Amino acid sequence: MSAYWPFVVIGLFLGSIFALGALGQVLTYKTTGVFNFAYGATAMFCAFCYWQLHDSWHLTAWMALPLLLVVVAPVIGVGFEAIFRRLVGLSAEVSIVVCLAMLALAQVGATLIWGGQERGLEPVIPRSTFKLGTLYVGWDQLGTFVVACLMAGGLWWLLRHTRFGTATRAVVDNGDLAAIIGVSGNNVRRTAWIISSMFAGIIGVLLTPSQGLDTINLPLLVMASMAAAVLGRLVSFPWAFGGALGMGVLMSVLDKFSSSGTVANIKSSIPWFLLFVFLVVLGGKLKEPGVAATRGAGASTAQAGVHVDELVHRRRLPPSVLIGLVIFAVAVFLPALINQSYLFDTTSGVLFALVAITLVVLTGWAGQISLAQFSFVGIGVYAVGHLAGHHGQHFLLAALVAAVIAIPAGIVVGLPSVRLKGLYLALATLAFALIMDGVVFNAVGISGGLTGIFDSHPCVFGVSFGSTTSFYELSLWVLGAVLVLAYLLSLGPIGRRLRILRDSPLAASTLGVNLTVTKLVVFTGCGVLAALAGTLYGSYLGAVTAQDVSWQWSLELVLVVVLAGRSVLSGAVLAGAVFMVPAFFPNPTVQNYIQLGVALGVIGLGQNPDGTVALAVQEAKRTLSVLRPRPRRQLEFEPMARARPVEVGSHA
Amino acid sequence: MPEVGDYSHGVGHGGLSVRHVSVRFGGLHALDAVELDVPPGQVTGLIGPNGAGKTTLFNVLSGLLKPATGAVRLAGRDITAWSPHRRGRAGIARTFQRLELFSRMTVEENLVAAWESAHPGAIFGRGRSDRCRRVAQVKDLLGLGRISGRTAGELPTGLGRMVELGRALCTDPRILLLDEPSSGLDVGETRHFADVLRQLVSGGTQPAPALAVLLVEHDMALVMEVCRMITVLDFGRRIAHGTPWEIRADPAVRAAYLGESDVA
Repeated sequence: MSAYWPFVVIGLFLGSIFALGALGQVLTYKTTGVFNFAYGATAMFCAFCYWQLHDSWHLTAWMALPLLLVVVAPVIGVGFEAIFRRLVGLSAEVSIVVCLAMLALAQVGATLIWGGQERGLEPVIPRSTFKLGTLYVGWDQLGTFVVACLMAGGLWWLLRHTRFGTATRAVVDNGDLAAIIGVSGNNVRRTAWIISSMFAGIIGVLLTPSQGLDTINLPLLVMASMAAAVLGRLVSFPWAFGGALGMGVLMSVLDKFSSSGTVANIKSSIPWFLLFVFLVVLGGKLKEPGVAATRGAGASTAQAGVHVDELVHRRRLPPSVLIGLVIFAVAVFLPALINQSYLFDTTSGVLFALVAITLVVLTGWAGQISLAQFSFVGIGVYAVGHLAGHHGQHFLLAALVAAVIAIPAGIVVGLPSVRLKGLYLALATLAFALIMDGVVFNAVGISGGLTGIFDSHPCVFGVSFGSTTSFYELSLWVLGAVLVLAYLLSLGPIGRRLRILRDSPLAASTLGVNLTVTKLVVFTGCGVLAALAGTLYGSYLGAVTAQDVSWQWSLELVLVVVLAGRSVLSGAVLAGAVFMVPAFFPNPTVQNYIQLGVALGVIGLGQNPDGTVALAVQEAKRTLSVLRPRPRRQLEFEPMARARPVEVGSHA
Repeated sequence: MPEVGDYSHGVGHGGLSVRHVSVRFGGLHALDAVELDVPPGQVTGLIGPNGAGKTTLFNVLSGLLKPATGAVRLAGRDITAWSPHRRGRAGIARTFQRLELFSRMTVEENLVAAWESAHPGAIFGRGRSDRCRRVAQVKDLLGLGRISGRTAGELPTGLGRMVELGRALCTDPRILLLDEPSSGLDVGETRHFADVLRQLVSGGTQPAPALAVLLVEHDMALVMEVCRMITVLDFGRRIAHGTPWEIRADPAVRAAYLGESDVA
């Protein structure tokens, strides 16, 4: 047993960090109903700020730390509150997407300000050790544990024994009633955001010295505390705290067995396994916040969607189809217009559009949410890499295998959707994506290690698509075919089935729709399509590493598709076009600026979840409506009883 | 329509029957050994004060809620364990007290999607002509023709209720469960609705056999007018059962629900 103690000590350190993260997330979720996906990114951003204050401007820790906690963190907290205040009452999806945009914003912001390279940070608590029995314990480890306990205790005291605590409970219980008796919901929420940001700041400062300062791994490690927060059903502080400590110890003890290879991969994915399992097991017991508030907001979402759906059902070609056709036509003639090297990068946009279609179908039509579409792309990429590349099999066979592998994966992602929706479904798909990243795509046997693997170009029926132009054209025609197919499906019974699933699953089920089967089919179908897109994407990339299909791409895809328009196919095409833009600029930071723009766009667009295509169509309609002839009769609100005396069956 | 329209099997009156159904929410008896019959060819009323358990019973009937004890039978067949969609396909259709329209789709699409939901194979395009005929018939019956192109979510409540009713009718139901269909309707609309209801149960709008309707309603005049039998719930218990005339005279009902003032 004694052999385990050193690992328990390290585990308690990690667990303390998770505990702080879980408490911060539970606090904001409880008071505001927003689950902060950007919590890890906030911690990362705070750590960078601390680095700036302490390591770059050479302030002492005694100066830098208070500055961070009293100035920087509160400013971030106030910013969060200001953004989410506008979204109160809107559907859960909106705040999820805006949170994801905040995550991307913090990441790309930190990259632009401080550069992409990893840094170290001088520890605040000295890392020297002392002896406890036979055990060497670091002062920083002990300090972190003590800080976590103190903060948890402080939070408990704050919520139990202060006016803020009473006000918080009042606002959580019934915001409107609280407002009537003079408790400002906004003040309570702002305070919660500020406290939560301070927690994030402390996490950043305590974790970074041992973890290193970067924009991807650090936030991801802090995000792992989500699992603990979900164990506490996002409302229980003690469960979240205990769960976090337990999770830290569990992860650390696994280190005893092996600190490399599969065990290490599994170890670092433990939080995501736990998150997935918790979500599936807790299932029906998890409640969405503010159902009443969401209901009211459904109307406004419906209003926004009205125009889009109306369009699909006129006989003449709707403008969104025209926009898509124009972009497509330009794309067809692109090889004649631009340089070969540009054309190569343009292909990526075409393939992104193909993946984006799966997200449009899943999110915009069927009303589900998935943060794991690039995991399916990864299945396609690696199937081709191993079969067609390494083992010299036919490309089509590899594509078929990819599709077959994607079926069970799609069912696994779809399973949580049977019982979960909104936030919890987003978390489950996120967990799935990170498990795939951590365990499957990181396995040396699959990813080929640091050097990656090589995907060959397809050669179908003796026709080779090896050249840049021919491969571009192949991709484009595949995209065109899928677009037409998807459009036709959207007009028929299948499209209707998906949209009733989105509008009212309850009514759909009582009418005779098997929700379980429908959801699984949708997730699986979209997964298979994404995997097929992945086979082409792998060929496009050539050399593939695990980074090329990581969760970051799924995140970026969701944001771009939401910004472009998630309920229309043109949105997918536009999303592809956005991904093309960096190809035309030699400077690699352009990519960052585009990500910045997308993140800001999504945050700004928050209230209009149907994206720019819908917005543009609405605007155009409003502008053009002045030209329409005046209606002769106002049919709108004529009571229908006067419509006609009823004759039954005569028209049957 | 193979299995959907086939109700010849089984015993009993062909309608819906509820035997000894109880539902508990924690310590609260939402339903306590409730008995109810919904025979075909007539409208059965279900009334009771707020919180009496009417909507809970509806949820039990449509499969959204599993009862702790008791059985629900459709044409003599025990369907207590059936899922909502299986009941939907077997001919139980319902509307919702709080509108559950497919709000971003047009009225026409709401009806078409409902038909497709209830008919096997429709998702692959089977039975297109049947569908068109039935949807047109329902639109005619309810006067939805002129709003068929409008988005359901932007309709006023009265029309929204009609669309929900139309959606339920498009599934060719055997049993129709209506949860406060007249709330949000004005006087004229309510009158029209009563007419529709009578035509529905008298047959003629349906492929045979006749429809059984269970009506939860607060508008007493409407209930007394269209229902042949009425069941009264209070605190999850059945406190009375009988014709409108009997219910009106029942002292227990007066005490529990209608107050001492005159009813109709």
